Amino acid sequence: MTWFTVAKKDFRDAVQSRALWALVGVFVLVSLLSTYAYVEVPEMFGSPAGATFGGLLFFTVGLTGLFVPLAAIVVCYKSLAGERELGSIKLLLSLPTSRSQVLAGKVAGRAAVLTFGLGVGLVVGLGFGSLLLGTFDAVAALTFVAVTLAFAAIYAAIIVSISATTGSTSRATTLSLGFFVVFELLWDVVPMGILYVVEGFSFPTTIPDWIFPVMQLAPSSAYFSTIVALLPDLADTVGAEPAQTGVGAEADAAGAEPFFASPEVGIAILALWLVVPLAVGYYRFDASDL
Amino acid sequence: MAAIELEGLTKRFGDVVAVDDLDLSVEEGEIFGFLGPNGAGKSTTIDILLDFLRPTSGTVTVLGHDAQSEGLAVRSRIGVLPDAYHVYDRLTGRQHVEFAIEMKGADDGAQALLERVRIADAADRKAGGYSKGMRQRLVLAMALVGDPDLLVLDEPSTGLDPNGAREMREIIREENDRGTTVFFSSHIMEQVEAVCDRVAIIDRGRLVAVDTIDGLRDSTETGETLYVYVTELDDGILERVGGLEGVGSAAIDDDRLRVTVDGVSKFAVLHAIDEIAGVQDFSVVESSLEDLFVRYTNEVSEVEA
Repeated sequence: MTWFTVAKKDFRDAVQSRALWALVGVFVLVSLLSTYAYVEVPEMFGSPAGATFGGLLFFTVGLTGLFVPLAAIVVCYKSLAGERELGSIKLLLSLPTSRSQVLAGKVAGRAAVLTFGLGVGLVVGLGFGSLLLGTFDAVAALTFVAVTLAFAAIYAAIIVSISATTGSTSRATTLSLGFFVVFELLWDVVPMGILYVVEGFSFPTTIPDWIFPVMQLAPSSAYFSTIVALLPDLADTVGAEPAQTGVGAEADAAGAEPFFASPEVGIAILALWLVVPLAVGYYRFDASDL
Repeated sequence: MAAIELEGLTKRFGDVVAVDDLDLSVEEGEIFGFLGPNGAGKSTTIDILLDFLRPTSGTVTVLGHDAQSEGLAVRSRIGVLPDAYHVYDRLTGRQHVEFAIEMKGADDGAQALLERVRIADAADRKAGGYSKGMRQRLVLAMALVGDPDLLVLDEPSTGLDPNGAREMREIIREENDRGTTVFFSSHIMEQVEAVCDRVAIIDRGRLVAVDTIDGLRDSTETGETLYVYVTELDDGILERVGGLEGVGSAAIDDDRLRVTVDGVSKFAVLHAIDEIAGVQDFSVVESSLEDLFVRYTNEVSEVEA
């Protein structure tokens, strides 16, 4: 299948870019610094009872939830729009391949780049943390790394799909950043705003059931819920509530009532984030004049 | 079977009609030149053939496959040098060719291909540092991977110096000798003239001529043109000169007689003119297909009429 060849070439091309190595460097640095900060002053980072390995994981989730979307934008926004703008896509699509294979290859290649950079940072950070703490929970760490890398791959698919919808890198930038602002920065506010309007411009005393799944629609919230769903014991001891580590925490005060829906919803939503943007991106890419 | 068959091909970009109801058939085994000035619709046609663009109406069949619905089958049998492409700056020339080999599932050696297009010495440098001519050679090498049945070359001589253009023509001929059909576009008649079996001339999206090079020559006043300064010049003299044996056409051009000569010696014609009106001076211009091309594409209405 040609998608694999496309992915390989794309990876080979991307690993030679300084941007990628800067990204890896930044993440390793952030990872080391935040781990150190967490271990030194756990009270400040949500673990009043003292630093634990589980606590470190859930603290790191908050970081990766912000870092992954930004890194995905940096790594992927030009993936297809840039090739179309420059014209290298003509070289690619002159060869015996199809647009679906090219899209699949691009997603795989960029996902590999992103998960590689992120993987290095996570392993270094968690290794450093377990050294400082003197404890290590292999199952939890593996689960956490696996989910985080899957989350990164899904985010790569989202941004590559956005990039596939346009032949202009400036538009791809606008769309990617717009996606980030709406779904990662403002998303906690959006459902609350809808609720506020629906309830006649006032907040009800109890939060209705539908709010929770809607708030989980943001990819990073779904990612957090997925971690909670897969590591329920750790989540209990750490006291992590789904959808509170989102980048914007404005909703927390209003959402003081316990949430009803199960965190497993997050897994389903992450799966949707893989499928829906790819379908839209492919549809637009396949129909366009290059 | 035709290698390329265009039927009623039309492509509009908004209000602009880039290709207007084009019918064209390229036979297997021929070298076919697709000629037209910049912006005539050549690249648009080729881009539709490669399924980069979707036609507004009409169909394109390449090697028996529909270019739009069976693009993969088409591209697995053709080699392409597209227009306005860009190489992968961070990959080396060799990596480019190896990529094409892997994509086509071919077993060519990258080194042999790079040597054939004469950039083997730069094979391990990043293609981002290549000159335009080297890139053109590199992409030609990628096009040659897997012995394609059809080569589609969009302005292959772009960026090449005269030597490079000649080498490009040699490669085109070699490929054709092995049975490959070659379809290439150009806005320069000279390049087409040198290698093509047949030529199509396109202007403003419309086909204005399809013929062999000889056919094109024969269909118009070609051969040689004499410019003659005579002592006196009026319509009567013009008429008498026009009636001389061996004179194709006669006209007054900048106070000179412009006479085309067909099949007789120029000297005989000059001598005859001298008897009608004293010849003071003359010059001979061999009319080329270039003139023909210019006339076709500038005076389409006149040629059609």
